[in-house]
Amino acid sequence: MAQKNNSPWVDYVIFGLTIFLIFCLIFESFIDLPGLVAWMGRWHPLILHFPIVLLLMAAALGLFNRIVPNVLLTIATLSALVTAITGFFLGTESAPKGDLIFWHQWMGAGVAFLAVVWYWLSNNHLQQTYLVKGIQVVLILLVGLTGHYGGMITHGEDFLAWPKSKKLEKIPENPLIYEHIVHRVLDNSCIGCHNPNKTKGELLMTSIDELIKGGESGPALVIGDPVNSELIRRLHLPVEDEEHMPPEGKKPLSDNEIQILERWIALGASDTLKLSDLDNSEPLVGLVKKMMDSGTTNSWAKLPKVMDSTLQNLASDYITIKRISSNSQALSISVFLPPDYNSKNITDLKRISNNIIELDLSGIPIGEKEMELVAMCKNLEWLEVDRTPITDAEFIKLSGLAQLRVLKAYETGITDKSVAVLKDLKGLKSLYVWETQISGDGFAQLKEALPNLQLDYGIDPELKTEFIQKDSIVDSIQ
Amino acid sequence: MEEDKSKSENPLKVNRRHFFSQLSVGIGSLALGSLLIPDLFKGGKGPVASQPLGIPHFAPKAKRVIYLFQSGAPSQLESFDYKPTLVKRMGEDLPESIRNGQRLTGMTAGQDKFPLMPSAAKFSQHGKSGAWVSEFFPHIAKIADEICIVKSMQTEAINHDPAITFFQTGSQQSGRPSMGSWMSYGLGSENQNLPSFVVLTSRGKGNSQGLYSKLWSSGFLDSKHQGVLLRSGKDPVLYLNDPEGLSRSDKRHLLDHVSSLNKIHHVETGDDEIESRIAQYEMAYRMQMSVPDVMDIKKEPESIIKLYGEESQVPGTYAANCLQARRLAENGVRFIQLYHQGWDQHGNLPNEMAGQAKDVDQASAALILDLKQRGMLEDTLVIWGGEFGRTNYCQGNFDPKNYGRDHHPRAFSIWMAGGGIKPGITYGETDEFGYNIVKNPVHINDFHATIMNNLGLDHEQLIYKYQGRRFRLTDVAGNVVNDILT
Repeated sequence: MAQKNNSPWVDYVIFGLTIFLIFCLIFESFIDLPGLVAWMGRWHPLILHFPIVLLLMAAALGLFNRIVPNVLLTIATLSALVTAITGFFLGTESAPKGDLIFWHQWMGAGVAFLAVVWYWLSNNHLQQTYLVKGIQVVLILLVGLTGHYGGMITHGEDFLAWPKSKKLEKIPENPLIYEHIVHRVLDNSCIGCHNPNKTKGELLMTSIDELIKGGESGPALVIGDPVNSELIRRLHLPVEDEEHMPPEGKKPLSDNEIQILERWIALGASDTLKLSDLDNSEPLVGLVKKMMDSGTTNSWAKLPKVMDSTLQNLASDYITIKRISSNSQALSISVFLPPDYNSKNITDLKRISNNIIELDLSGIPIGEKEMELVAMCKNLEWLEVDRTPITDAEFIKLSGLAQLRVLKAYETGITDKSVAVLKDLKGLKSLYVWETQISGDGFAQLKEALPNLQLDYGIDPELKTEFIQKDSIVDSIQ
Repeated sequence: MEEDKSKSENPLKVNRRHFFSQLSVGIGSLALGSLLIPDLFKGGKGPVASQPLGIPHFAPKAKRVIYLFQSGAPSQLESFDYKPTLVKRMGEDLPESIRNGQRLTGMTAGQDKFPLMPSAAKFSQHGKSGAWVSEFFPHIAKIADEICIVKSMQTEAINHDPAITFFQTGSQQSGRPSMGSWMSYGLGSENQNLPSFVVLTSRGKGNSQGLYSKLWSSGFLDSKHQGVLLRSGKDPVLYLNDPEGLSRSDKRHLLDHVSSLNKIHHVETGDDEIESRIAQYEMAYRMQMSVPDVMDIKKEPESIIKLYGEESQVPGTYAANCLQARRLAENGVRFIQLYHQGWDQHGNLPNEMAGQAKDVDQASAALILDLKQRGMLEDTLVIWGGEFGRTNYCQGNFDPKNYGRDHHPRAFSIWMAGGGIKPGITYGETDEFGYNIVKNPVHINDFHATIMNNLGLDHEQLIYKYQGRRFRLTDVAGNVVNDILT
């Protein structure tokens, strides 16, 4: 059972390193490392593998009541101390220390100290006590946790996270350009390596001030001058270039995202700028809207899955069913009038009603049955029922279609009675209702209820007369 | 697997690559080669085909395009690019610093002088946006707030045929698929009863240039993507109608028998074009019903006819074609290409251009208004423009009442409306002579990339591999012009 003791020199070395580590940890803020010593810190990622394997091996042997060879424990303890010390050196390179490094450092030190305690107990022939067993269990846990935190520092915090589609918050209607747009781009592509825990090139990208302060290569951002901003320069380098960001292998920014950063910098890199502050001709408006649009397609991600074969079965020469974009469950359906029309052609679509986002029934002799199908399409955003025989009785089915954005109902028989239904469609952006029985009073009510609605009741009468009255003839030349 | 089977049964399906890949099985050196270059013996579909066809790559802003092509190249200086400097410096020679080595056509290269010529048409500002539009286009002026005028288009070609081919196919040399064919290929058909790419032509009294069916050819794409020319008059599609005395059920029997024979032939040879042909016969059968219906403008109320102008009742005119275009768009045709010939004013420009403008002005503007009231501007992209611009100097005799302008590729104007394009803006600028672009140039490749973007297609991903090379409409260039998108 009892092992022969090591030569006293080993004890002295372990004792010395322990004292040194304690000293380092206590006087951390006063230490300014010479270059060579700091360089030794760079060996931390190499050395750290030894204590992990050796300590786990030793602890496992001990827990299974096997003899722990003294030489194994000695080397494990020594390597744990060396790893903790080099780790401390490496840590001093990235001040201020983030949460991850803080925990990693103290747990790493804990591992080293526990190993020393175990070594001391073992040398004093207390190998088989419950105390040692406890130490072994705690060591295994602590080694795992320390390693995990270390991994998160090098590979990013979500490296081991459960693979899930990153839930992105919806961009508000009138976003703050920095907070909701620019920061989102940076967060997606840059902040993973430029945060307080992992600060590549000594550059933090978590705030505008940090971007201006910059890192090893100087300021990342020059207000008003995208061309001279290091951040933008690196985005534009060829992917093969060493300095290209994000580095090879990571997903590069899209053109749209790069242009958003450029325009935002050119406009002064403000953190209070809102989308509504920008003039309509400002390119940033279009860029931001494009990004927001791709956000709306995300809302279709929750739609139930629908098979291609289902679509093929329901489609015909007169019913075209298309996915709005590839790999999307959102459907766009156009119906054209077949020679032998039957309402069943349309009511059959109820199998996929939840997936229908756009539905074009223009000019089809639809009635109550078809409108019942429409009422089932809860996710409908775009509906065309113009030039159909529907009246108020059928139109009422539209109430409850909360997602409806565009509605074409011109040349139908609806009257002021339908205004109540329309008023409740809060999401409505465009409405086409010329050649209906809705009165001027009805329109006024509608405008009041939905101030943002684009209401189209036909071509401006004045303009129309100008077009109809006389053909324009250019006389000035002849 | 199925592909392999069809290959073993149909010798036509074995191409050179398949042949070599079979050969490589036994030959070590070739096998080694295939290890070194993984793609070397990969016949047929590579990573290129990864995007499914017939579906946009991302959610589109526009579902269809109406392209009002003004063939012959209308002058930007008498339409949308107002240049008061030309009035001040009228008759002065074009400074060499401005011309800057621009090559000229044979028609003016021999001129001793290049005297600057101002516009005979007066300009004024219109709409809330204050867009400059000449008096030649009084109706378009009234819809200035609906359109986006791009004053900084540029092309590389200097003569009609290469220039129009460039606009239509993305290459100055013929043989590539037309834009409409690419869209049909990438997006598929919206209505199975009509072709997805339709062409309508009309001709003004001005000096015209030829139009050839190669402009709407599907090139190396399947022939079902080819543009179908609809003619005016009794037979919009030649040979579509049955001979008198043939009933529709007889026709059905005939088609069924022909189709079964064709299928046998397909099994024997494996030629995919036979399947295309069978599908086209079927579509033609359905088109016998759908085309007369779409083409029958008698169903339009008088107010609409008048909106487009009285001429819209005369089949074969530009106005009638515009009205037709709206009807086709309503019926799910993806790409409707109009051509109006007669814009090549080398001489007698003020008179001829006034006449050409009169042909198209009201109907073009009416089309926009009509689409707008139907909510179709939300998903229909309208484009108006020619193949290049015209010179700021006079061709032929210097007479402000009767001058000409030569071809000018460096800068010209077009306009677009609807389908995800910002309304009521003017984009790009030319210098005070109207000769060079000084701000926001838009190359034809950029123009194509932008249109594809609005249709939900990534112009870098819609690729067709042919004869060992990967082809795109934008070839190896093109940037989406984000500034003009909503």
